[in-house]
Amino acid sequence: MAKKNKNVPKALGRHSLNGHDPQLHIPRSSQRTYTIVDHRLEKPSFTIRQIRKGDEIRYEVTGDLNAPVPPIRESKYLDKKQCIEIYRWMLLNRKMETVLENLYKQGKVVGGVYFGLGQEACSCASAYALYKDDWLGPMIRNQGSLLVRGFSARDIMMQYMAKAGSPTKGRDASSHFGDIERRNVVAPISTLGDLIPVLAGVALGARLQGRSIAVMTYIGDGGQSTGVTYEGLNFAAVQDLGLVLFVENNLWGYSTPADMQFRVKDLAERAITYGIPGVIVDGTDACQIYDAAHEACERARRGKGPTLIEAKMMRMKGHAIHDAAEYVPKPLFEYWRKRDPIARFEKYLLGKKWITPQENEKLIADVEQELEADRDFAVASPMPEPESAAGGVYCDSSCHEIKPKYGAPKVRVAKSGIATLREAAVHLK
Amino acid sequence: MPQLTYLEAIRQGIWEEMERDPSVFCIGEDIGIYGGAFKVTDGFIDRFGPERVIDTPIAESAIVGAAFGASLTGMRPVAEFQFMDFIGCAFNQIVNMVAKAHYRWGAPAPLVIRGPSGGNVHGGPFHSQNPEAWFVHAPGLKVVCPASAYDAKGLIKAAIRDNNPVIFFEHKYLYRRIKEEVPVEDYIVALGKARVAREGRDVSVITYAAMVHVALEAADILAKEGIELDVVDLRTLSPLDREAIAETVRKTNKVILLHEDVRTGGIAGEIAAIINEEAFDDLDGPIVRITAQDSPVPFSPPQEEYFLPKVSDVVRVVRRLKAY
Repeated sequence: MAKKNKNVPKALGRHSLNGHDPQLHIPRSSQRTYTIVDHRLEKPSFTIRQIRKGDEIRYEVTGDLNAPVPPIRESKYLDKKQCIEIYRWMLLNRKMETVLENLYKQGKVVGGVYFGLGQEACSCASAYALYKDDWLGPMIRNQGSLLVRGFSARDIMMQYMAKAGSPTKGRDASSHFGDIERRNVVAPISTLGDLIPVLAGVALGARLQGRSIAVMTYIGDGGQSTGVTYEGLNFAAVQDLGLVLFVENNLWGYSTPADMQFRVKDLAERAITYGIPGVIVDGTDACQIYDAAHEACERARRGKGPTLIEAKMMRMKGHAIHDAAEYVPKPLFEYWRKRDPIARFEKYLLGKKWITPQENEKLIADVEQELEADRDFAVASPMPEPESAAGGVYCDSSCHEIKPKYGAPKVRVAKSGIATLREAAVHLK
Repeated sequence: MPQLTYLEAIRQGIWEEMERDPSVFCIGEDIGIYGGAFKVTDGFIDRFGPERVIDTPIAESAIVGAAFGASLTGMRPVAEFQFMDFIGCAFNQIVNMVAKAHYRWGAPAPLVIRGPSGGNVHGGPFHSQNPEAWFVHAPGLKVVCPASAYDAKGLIKAAIRDNNPVIFFEHKYLYRRIKEEVPVEDYIVALGKARVAREGRDVSVITYAAMVHVALEAADILAKEGIELDVVDLRTLSPLDREAIAETVRKTNKVILLHEDVRTGGIAGEIAAIINEEAFDDLDGPIVRITAQDSPVPFSPPQEEYFLPKVSDVVRVVRRLKAY
C-alpha cells in the first residue's frame, strides 16, 4: 500500500449510469485496486502506544523523531502571488487564534476556544482551491477555511464572544455558522461526519441544476470513525458527486491517539473501500495541500466524483483551550514544531525570493493591524437582547425566497401518464 | 370525483408536485425501478427519470443529509424512509443538522421526510412503530399524520411546498384500506390545521391517523345510544392546532385523547397540558388517555390486538366519561 505514484491513476473516471465507464469500457465492479498517491517528501515513522510504567499508564512514542525537516514541495499550479496569498491567510488564521486566546484569558469569550495550530496550511490551502460557486463545510479547527471563504476575523471573534452582530446573532458559537447565499458555506454541527452527506447533497442539488461543482469538507482521524462518515462518502461515491474530503489526521481525537481509532496504516487507504481516489499529503506543506485539493476539485467539476485526501500533521494544542494536552508525549510536540506550516512556508517564500524580509515584515504588520481593528470592533459590539432568543425556529413564508441557486433544474419528463399502480409484492399489506 | 386509496392519493400528490415544480425530486431506498416497498413511487422513474428518482444505498443518515444539502441549493427533496421505524438511524441528521438549521444560521430546509408508520399489520417491533412524538419534541420540524385520502394528498402537497423540514408519517394500515373521493383539481390542506371529522355535543375524541377511524367507528356505535362524539382529527402534530383543541373542549366539556403511539411521552400528554392551559374551566370530567401500552409493538396478532387501542376501548371510556 501507499506506493509512491505522482499520477492519479486513470482508472478512476466517472462511471455512467449503466455501470460502465464510458472511456474505459470496463464495469466499475471489476476495478479492484487503486494506488494511493503519496505526495509527501518524508514519511514519519513512529508509533504512539499506551504503556504501563509501574502504576502509571501513559502514551509513549517510539520511532525516528530526529529526521531532518523536508523542503516544501514545489507546486505544479501555484504562482508567486497565490503562494503569498495563502501565506497571508495562514498568518491571519494563526494570529486570529492568538487574539482569541487572549480574549479568552481576559474573560471575554463565552465557552471555549478551538485552535487549528499546526493545521493552518491544511485549512487555508485547501479552501483556496475552491471557486466562488463551490461549497465548503468547515469543521471546528478550519477557521482558516472560513477566512479564505470570505468571512472576516471579526465574524469569528464575535461568534466566540456570543455577540449580537455575530453571523448567528449569538445563537451558536465558534465556527458554527454558514452562508448559503454568497459564500456557499454550510454551518457545521458538533457531531462528527455529519457534514459529509450534506455536502454530497449540495453537489447533488447543483447537478440537478445542470452544474458540476466541487464541495469540500473535512473530517479528523477521530471523526472518521463515525458511521455517518461512511454513509456520506459512500453515497458520494456511488453517485459520482464532487466531494473533496480532507481527512485531517492530526494524531489525536481529543485525548485518544490515532492508533486507537483505526487499524489501517494510512487513512487514505479507506478510499479503496469506496472505489474512489485516495491521496496522502504532508499537512504542514501548503503546496502539497493546494495541489491535491486543486486536482480533486477539478475532478469534481468534471463530474468525476469524490476524492479522499489524507493530510498528516499534528494538533499542536489540546482539544480546546481548557485542555493542556499533557497526555501528548513531549518529543512529538518537538518533532512537529520543527514542521510548523507557517515557518516552513515563510522560509520557502524567502528562499525563493518571492518575498523579501521587508515585505514579510510589512505583511505581518498588516495582518496584525487588521486583527487589532477587528478585535476592537468585536469587543465593543453589543451582546444580544435576551428577547432575540425568540423566533426564527421556522422559516415563515416571507423569510426566504427559495429558488434553485444555479438556475432552473434540468428536467426530462417522459410522455407516459400515471402508470397503473402495481399491487403485487407489497410488504405488510 | 375519482375514488382513490390513501396510498394512491399520496402518490398522486408527489407526482403532481414533481410535474408542477422541477425542483422537487425523490430520494430513498428502492424507490426507482422497484417503485418503493409499498409502491408509493411506482412509475415515477419512467416519468421523471433516474436523476429525480434516486435510489440510494441503505444509509438513512446519508439520505437525510443529502436531502438537506440539496435543499440548501434551493431544491425540494422528498426523502422516503422504507419504514418510519428506521428513522432512528438518521436521528442526528434530523434533530441536530436539519431541525436547528434555520434557528442557528438562517438556512431554510424545504425538505420532506416521508414513509409508512403504524401497526395493525403484524409487522412486529421494527415495522409497526409510531415514532412521531420524538420529532414533535424537536423545534424546527413540522410533523404531519394524515388520516384520510383527501388529507393525505393535500397535506403532502402542502408539505412539499413548505419552507421547513416536514416529517410526514403515512399510516401503512390505511394505505389500501380506505378509499374516498379526491378532487382532480390542485388543492392543498394547510399544515397546522385540525379538522372535525364528526360533529357531536357529548364527548370529544382528539386523535389522528388510523385512530381517527377507530373513533369514528365508536361514534357510530355510541350514536345508537344517543351519545354524540365530537371527533377531532389533528392532521398535524407540530405545530398543534391549539385553537381546535380548545374549541372541542368548550363544546363538549369532556375529552378523550386517543393515539396508537405508546402512552408515556406521547402527544396525548402534551394535548392534556394545552387543555389545562386553554380550557381548564370548561372541563366537566378528567382528561382520559387511550393509547397503546408502554412496550414495543408485539408481533403475534393476538398480542398486537391487545397492544393497540380498540373501538371497544373508546366505547367503554365514553360511557364512563358521559356519567360525569
